[in-house]
Amino acid sequence: MRNVLIIGSGISGMACAVRCAEHGIHVTLVSPFSSERSQSVMAAGGINAVLPELENGDSVACHIEDTLKGGACLGGRRAVTGLCEHGEEILRYLESIGTVFSVDKEGHPLRRAFGGQSHKRTYYCGASTGKQIVSALVMEARRYEAQGVIRRKLRSSFYSALIRDGVCYGAMLYDEAGGNIEAVYADALVVATGGQNALFGKTTGSTLCDGYVAGKLFMQGAELKNLEFIQYHPTALETAQKRILISEAGRGEGGRLFIDRNGERFYFMEDKYGPNGNLMTRDVISREIDALGGSAFLDISFLGKKLIDGRLPEIRDICSKYAGIDVNREPIPVQPSVHFFMGGLAVHLDHETNIRNLFAVGECASMYHGANRLGGNSLLAAVYSGRVAADTLAERNRTDSERPDFSRELESESAKLVRSSETESRFPVMYIRDMLAETMQKQLGIVRCKENLMQGLHDIDYYLSIAEHLNFDSSVMPYYNYSLTGILTLARATVKCALFRKESRGAHYRSDHPERDEKYRAATIISYDDGNFCLRLDEGGAYES
Amino acid sequence: MKVKILRQLSPDSSPYWEIFEYDGPLDNSVAGVLDYINYHDDISDVEGNATTRIGWECSCLQGMCGACAMVVNGKPVLACETFVRDFHGKDIEIRPLRKFPVVHDLMVDRSSIHENLKAANICIGEYRPSEDTDFEHQYTAAKCLKCGLCLEVCPNYVNGRSFYGAAFANDCYLVASRNQSKSRMIGEIYGRAFGRDCSKSLSCMDVCPVKIPTLSSIARLNRLK
Ligand SMILES: Cc1cc2nc3c(=O)[nH]c(=O)nc-3n(C[C@H](O)[C@H](O)[C@H](O)COP(=O)(O)OP(=O)(O)OC[C@H]3O[C@@H](n4cnc5c(N)ncnc54)[C@H](O)[C@@H]3O)c2cc1C
Ligand code: FES
Repeated sequence: MRNVLIIGSGISGMACAVRCAEHGIHVTLVSPFSSERSQSVMAAGGINAVLPELENGDSVACHIEDTLKGGACLGGRRAVTGLCEHGEEILRYLESIGTVFSVDKEGHPLRRAFGGQSHKRTYYCGASTGKQIVSALVMEARRYEAQGVIRRKLRSSFYSALIRDGVCYGAMLYDEAGGNIEAVYADALVVATGGQNALFGKTTGSTLCDGYVAGKLFMQGAELKNLEFIQYHPTALETAQKRILISEAGRGEGGRLFIDRNGERFYFMEDKYGPNGNLMTRDVISREIDALGGSAFLDISFLGKKLIDGRLPEIRDICSKYAGIDVNREPIPVQPSVHFFMGGLAVHLDHETNIRNLFAVGECASMYHGANRLGGNSLLAAVYSGRVAADTLAERNRTDSERPDFSRELESESAKLVRSSETESRFPVMYIRDMLAETMQKQLGIVRCKENLMQGLHDIDYYLSIAEHLNFDSSVMPYYNYSLTGILTLARATVKCALFRKESRGAHYRSDHPERDEKYRAATIISYDDGNFCLRLDEGGAYES
Repeated sequence: MKVKILRQLSPDSSPYWEIFEYDGPLDNSVAGVLDYINYHDDISDVEGNATTRIGWECSCLQGMCGACAMVVNGKPVLACETFVRDFHGKDIEIRPLRKFPVVHDLMVDRSSIHENLKAANICIGEYRPSEDTDFEHQYTAAKCLKCGLCLEVCPNYVNGRSFYGAAFANDCYLVASRNQSKSRMIGEIYGRAFGRDCSKSLSCMDVCPVKIPTLSSIARLNRLK
């Protein structure tokens, strides 16, 4: 292939762009804002890999087993094997482009323990692993930009894909500077647009991740997978605008979770799971906190100022800055928060969707993590998936058939946007996003049941019916107007998936079906057919094997 | 409390001041104030006249991405980590960064930062670090948010056409420290686009949200010559 259009410039989009450029493929890299603003910069903890200087007893095979086990048997063995086997290569690559990993005196990268893993294999860059990787990739992408191989297109957002007869030919983009829609043709389209935070409003992540692209592509025929699996992080600090992640390191260093019971501290995790109770996996702790009313305290004060200043300065600073809390003296109020989406666009092992020449990489694609993701595996997957897609594109010949003419679609979509923008709504479009978030937080929480999910579906249908007739809200960017239906449709699909899976597995817990049911040991696939949502299990492993 | 905001609806329209009444929580950040004014109710100015919602940029809302850089009460800051409580009841004045073209209200076009680095070809190429690699300084320098606060406050940075500012210098340091064979090339371009004209006011270091000691980068780059 000769030219590729990539939407999204976080770690996965940039990894794909740079690899394409290495293959000599010309790339147009689209995002509304620069890579420094992407959610990828927020990843703190680290990236998993098994290097030759491994912890005693560790191996790539252990990493594979941990990932499959963490994913509650829904990850595909071939896919996960590919991911884990490339861990070392990816870490070396990141080092070679200048990622500043934390190292010991001899210059060997340091690793830390992360939840759900049998060995220490999470390599890190201080407390800003994602940011350091982004900085290195930005510089590497810049090299190819200077050569004219990668062209960045900022202030531009995805509008829809150019698809005809199951083949993708590029995308329509909304150009903010010009205020118009344009068609950008390419031999292939790669989406790298991250998770779906906007469905839930306040999360630990970025406001730029809204799920619109996945929702719109779904409406255009792309299949989605495993949407019901949403990872909650048990310890987040609530602020007016968001939930700030309080890293697992706090508990790793000995921090204790408790709730207040009649003026006494009740250490609920230790009480139920023994002395290591505070280190249980994210989903278990989140469910325990949920059952106790939804919030708890994390105490690290007794660890001492020296340890806190030396090993937990980020937690200290976040608490003091955003909540006026001195962690040396007070416990931190915490609550679970939506953190990561295991579900997304269904892709095959080469990261192609069911639509030819349409690829998805990074968090917007559903792959590797099964029903629950291990900390440190998503950064690895972001880089790996970007490279896998690029390698596939390099090997593939261009579609011989002549490119269809999309000028009519472009004209009609442009006219639709102009017509809509000539109307004026007094009702802010953001209020519907807020209402959706409230519904999703309430009805698709840590513990679900049929009743809640049906109510959620009912609410979303109501918002969809409003969205259809809503006039234009000129007080926000047009993107917020045209993206609404796609976001709501994705939310509807998510609730549908949660209703479909009548069992509890990984991050999906149904109080009306609390047990795991081997009948459901396969990925959920949802497709859209003229307004109908069709569900099935991918029993043959057509996507991920 | 009054919040005075310098607004501008589009790149080529004229800027104007608008004043809002803020009666929201006092533990809010300035980013929280903007959200509150925009979405607490129908938006109107201090005299009750209906107006449009305020445009501003955000992503992480916790000081990690640099999106929300603006000037608050005369100081270039990140809105999401600047708090109302620190103004002790005083009114708040917000304006966009002045060294970049305004896109809409408080949103500015900072692409010149990247464009300058690209034009000067500031990239590592091959990884050949020097023996005495200072990981700690590299780590801090690579945390640069490209938010533009250092350029806003710099007395020598005008519009980025000839003097490229601290963000540029720190990336130059990163390249020089990771690929020794580029030292010379970097030394030259750094001298031309930064070293020659930097008057060492070092105000860039005072406002840097991730506290990059740019002076250390400068010292190391000066040794390249
Ligand atoms: C607080 C936090 C801590 C984390 N820590 C870790 C960790 O320690 N280890 C780990 O492995 N993982 C971690 N993760 C998860 C990890 O950071 C993400 O999964 C990963 O960075 C996703 O990268 P990405 O490239 O897929 O997407 P993103 O980095 O989210 O990038 C998405 C890109 O798409 C663009 N975009 C979005 N919508 C559109 C549109 N409509 N049109 C055009 N462009 C669009 C965005 O602007 C952005 O450029 C963490 C996540 C959070 C929130
Ligand atoms: S929104 Fe990211 S720094 Fe303020």
